[in-house]
Order: sequence, then C-alpha cells, then structure tokens
Amino acid sequence: MTGDCLVGLRVLVVEDEMLVSMLVEDMLADFGCSVVGPAPDFDAAMALATSAEIDAALLDVNVAGRPVFPVADALKARGVPFAFASGYGAAGVEGDHRGAPVLQKPFRQIDLERALTGLMTG
Amino acid sequence: MRSCSRVRGSRVSSLADTIETEAGATARERALVAALADETRRSEVLIRIGEAIGAGGDIDTIVQTVVDGGVELTRAEFGAFFYNVVDAEGERRQLCALSGAPRSAFERFPMPRNTAVFDPTFAGEAVVRSDDILADPRYGQGPPFNGMPDGQLPVRSYLSAPVVSRSGEVLGGLFFGHTEPGRFSTADERVVAGVAGLGAAAVEAMHRRNETLAASEAQRSVEARLAERLSFALDAGRMGSWALDVDSRDYEASDLCKANYGRHPDESFGFADLVASIHEADRARMTRAMETAIRDGSDYDIEYRVIWPDGQVRWVHARGRADSIVPGGSAKRMAGISLDITDRRRAEERQRLMLNELNHRVKNTLATVQSIAFQTLRTARTPAEFREAFEARLLALSETHNLLTRENWEGAALRAIIDSELEALGGVGRTVVVPGAEVHLTPKAAVAIGMGIHELATNAMKYGALSVARGLVTVHWQVRDGMLELDWTESDGPRVETPQRRGFGSRLLEKGLAAELGGSVELMYREQGLTCAMRLPMAALEGKELA
Repeated sequence: MTGDCLVGLRVLVVEDEMLVSMLVEDMLADFGCSVVGPAPDFDAAMALATSAEIDAALLDVNVAGRPVFPVADALKARGVPFAFASGYGAAGVEGDHRGAPVLQKPFRQIDLERALTGLMTG
Repeated sequence: MRSCSRVRGSRVSSLADTIETEAGATARERALVAALADETRRSEVLIRIGEAIGAGGDIDTIVQTVVDGGVELTRAEFGAFFYNVVDAEGERRQLCALSGAPRSAFERFPMPRNTAVFDPTFAGEAVVRSDDILADPRYGQGPPFNGMPDGQLPVRSYLSAPVVSRSGEVLGGLFFGHTEPGRFSTADERVVAGVAGLGAAAVEAMHRRNETLAASEAQRSVEARLAERLSFALDAGRMGSWALDVDSRDYEASDLCKANYGRHPDESFGFADLVASIHEADRARMTRAMETAIRDGSDYDIEYRVIWPDGQVRWVHARGRADSIVPGGSAKRMAGISLDITDRRRAEERQRLMLNELNHRVKNTLATVQSIAFQTLRTARTPAEFREAFEARLLALSETHNLLTRENWEGAALRAIIDSELEALGGVGRTVVVPGAEVHLTPKAAVAIGMGIHELATNAMKYGALSVARGLVTVHWQVRDGMLELDWTESDGPRVETPQRRGFGSRLLEKGLAAELGGSVELMYREQGLTCAMRLPMAALEGKELA
C-alpha cells in the first residue's frame, strides 16, 4: 500500500537545521525519493521552488529566520503539493495555507511517509 | 409692676361687678380699655418673640427679642438671658443677652454659675421671685449682692426662670430685675415661665441648626477628603476616570482619561470621540460591552486598542459600572476608570513570542537529537558502539548549548566553541590553536560548527593524530574577503587512508555544515594526516544576512 507510490518522487526539502535536513534526506531516501535541495535558506528555497523539477515539497515554516509562506505560494501556483514541518506545530501556519498538512517536529518516518502519500493521492 | 400683673387675674371679677352696677360704668369702661390694651400689648410682645423664632434669624437677634420681650412684659428695669451654646469645636460656652442696662453694667457681675441665688435657675428647678433680694432670707446675705460695687445694678426685685428644653436639658436662664423692691407679681412668674419656654424653643432651634450644620460640614469634609484621596489614587495609578449619562450620551472624562486617548486636558472629548478613537477591529466589541452593561447593570470591563490623533496605537483597559439602577434594571449613568495598558500588552506579547520561540527551539533540538540517534544507529556496528557515539554527540550538543546559555543565546565566540569541544574530548594539550580575528557565531552557526569540531576531534582521537602520543593537531583560522578560512590539520599521526565509506562525521561536515552555512567544507585524507578546510561566509556565521 504505502511506499511504492513514493518511489522516484522528487521532493524539495527546505530546512535550515543541517542535522534535521540530514534526517529528512535519509527518511526520503528510504522511500525511494530523490531529494531536491535541501535548501538551507529562503533564497535557495525560492529559487528551487520556482524552477526545479519537483513533485512535492516539505517546508520548514521558519527558514533561517524568515517565514517560508511565499515559497509555499510559489509552489501552489505551480500546482506542486507540499507539507509543512514546524516546531510551532499547526499554530505556526498562517493564512491560506492553514489547510496544508503540518508535521510537528520531531516526527516519525511513518508520519512523513503518510503525509507524502496523502499529498500524492489526495 | 405688681398692679399691672394683677390686671389679668382681677379682670374677670371686675367684669362681673360691671353687670351688677350701672353707676361705675365709666370706671369699668376705663378698666376694660386698660385691660384690653394690656392684653393687646402682651399679645404683641409674644407674637414678636414667636415671629423672631419662626423667622430663623441669627441667635443673637432671637435671644435679644426674647429678653427685650421679657423686660417689657414684666416691666423690669433690666433683663438678662444666659444661654449655653456648643460651638463648632464642641466647646460649651455661656453667652448672655442683656436688656435695659448697658453691657458695662455687667462687667463686674460675677459669673452666674458661681452664685448661690442662681442655682435653682441653672438647676432647672423653678421660677424664683423675690420682692427684695437683698433682704430675702432664702438666699442669705452672701455675695454678690451685698458686695456689689456702687452703681452696679442695685437689684431689689428679682425674678428668674430656667430655660429648659422639652427633653429636660437646662439650656440657660432668664433673669429680670428692678431697683425698687416688690415690683414682680405671681402673674409675672407665669409670664416669665412662658417667655422662658419661647427662649428654650429659640435655643433648641439654634442647637438643632448648629448640629445639622456641623454634620453637613463634617460630611462635606469627609467627602472632600475621599474625593482628594480618590483623585490621588487615580493619579498615582495613572487611571483616568469617566462618566456617561446613558440617555443624553453626555460623556465626562478626567484629564488622565483624555490622556489615555492622546487628548490634551483642554480638548473636548465626547462619547462620539471616544467611540471613534477605538480601533476599528475592537469598536463593535466595545459598544456591545457598553450596551450590555447598561442594559443589565452588569460590570463593564474591556481592553481595546485606541488610535491616538498622532496615529499611535495604544491599549486601554476600561472598567465601569452603572451608577444608578432604575426599577427596569437599566443604568441611568455609567462611571468608571480607564488605564493605559500598552506596556503590559507588549510585555504579554513578548512573553507569548518567547514561549513560542522556546517551544520552537525545543522541538527543533529534539528533531536534532532524533537525527543524531537515527544516523548514529546507521553507522554503529554494536549497541555499545552506538551508545558511546550517541552519548558523545549528545554531550557535544549540550556543551554548545551551555556556552550559548551563558551568552543568553545571543551567540558564542568561535574560539570558545573550539576549546569546549576539544576539552570535552581531552584533546586540549595536543592541539595548537592559532586563532585569527575574533568571530562571533550565531547560535545556529555555533551548534553547527560545534558538531563539526566534535566529529573532527572524535575522529582524530580514534583514528587520527590524537590516537598516538606524538600526534598533533593545528587549528588555524583567518577572516579574508568576508570568508572564514578555518583549517584543521593533523600531523605525526598514523598513516591515513581514504575510508571506504563515508560516515556520519564526514557527511555532516561536507554536506550538512557546508549547506547550512552556505560555504564549502573539504576533507582531505593526506598520508601525513587528515586536513579539513572550511570556507564559510562571515555573513552566515555572524547572522548579518538577517539584519
């Protein structure tokens, strides 16, 4: 059921904490996904979100001190599904993006898998 | 005077005689006219006294009217009205109104209280009448009358009556005198008793008036003190006060209340101004709260934002209550206070942000620990190896946090981060640190570099230069063109071979650290020793890109 639909998925990771982004990379690698990024700051994230070949994205709500929402807007405009990861939980998500899935840090590998599966099938 | 007084008593019999005999008609008519005139005069005097009391004029005028009336009615040569008063300070004093004699005639008159003959009067016992007080055995020959100096009221006929209130309190005494003996009659006794009654009414009325005045004066001063204290408390608490007339919407605001809305004391500030000054987003809530309080007579208690005329947004806390409740239950008047709570609201906001930030950091740190565990597990061959490596990495992270906590999480010096990681691993004595310019790292950069140094030092201790006694590590850095150039150089250690697979440490350094700080990190496995060359932009290390 799970897992297979994620194989080969190109996932943009926006995360400024190196250890966390390494963890997410490992988790995604286990699903057979290829990681785009990880983008450690807003500008890198925006550049990848607007131009890179991506199927889905996992966005840290606060990337190096800046809210990530404009990046989410850009992805939405391109029709790329995304989920948020945040230490603030769902409360940290603002405006139009309140309906997007939110992974509260720390999260389990299976939480990430479910979120991504939801994005690709929902 | 005795004959006059008797007219009243003999009048009825004189009239009876008149019916019997025609002969004495003229004499009877004359007696009748005289009696009538006498009665008229008496009535007039009593009416005059009554009117003076009723008019409620000042007490001096009233007692003067009483004593003058007494003199007139008894045909005395002089009269005196001694009466007690209680002044505003609560002191009892005896005052005196005189009639028929100049005040100087009484100058050496002894105080009535000290004189035996006055005792029954001031004791409120009875009317005293003496045809000749000098010869009267009842009062002895004692002073003052015997010892009275020449020319000082040589009283012979004496008549006095106590002035007693309805409740029995002695208010004073009325005294009448004449230089000739035998001038007062028993009828005069009744007259002075009546006049004394009027005098009592006058003094009592005055006492009541004074008491009412004193009470209202006391009330006024209590109210004034309360108002003063309230005003002081309001000022000290920076509280404004306000009142609203519910029907007319008349709104009164104190100076401080106006100040809470950014208005000067001399600016007008009505209810419409108040409502208009409230932030649009809070206005409907405010008017609803006000209406509810008015309708139910409930407390009005609300915090809202106000826009000052200069555009500032401030927070105001307003509280109030219905001043008076009509039977239907709705308020006629609301009154209350207002307080600028901008500082408090800002502090609360800061606290909320700090708690959020703390939560964010804790969650991120937990995710970091999760990552360390996850990756340590992947490379560890045995549980014991996992535990050793995991604990060491956890402690390295903890060391960096300790440093940051000492600096209020404002960052840490690069030198301090390097020293603390080397010290934790016991590598201080065999590491030469050649510091360059002082570099102040952001908390995030400090954690990243701390972890990186930890991985380098651990590797050196286990496999590199620090694993043998003669080995040495040199850490050298400099800042050039906005880049930190940090070189970790190992020498005199075991021969180095390029590892078959990359572990956590090399991945963290070459991928993680380089990516997070936007620079490059290169590991070189040279035969004579490992080197690590970090090239990191200062902007990312010192957080300047956020400014």
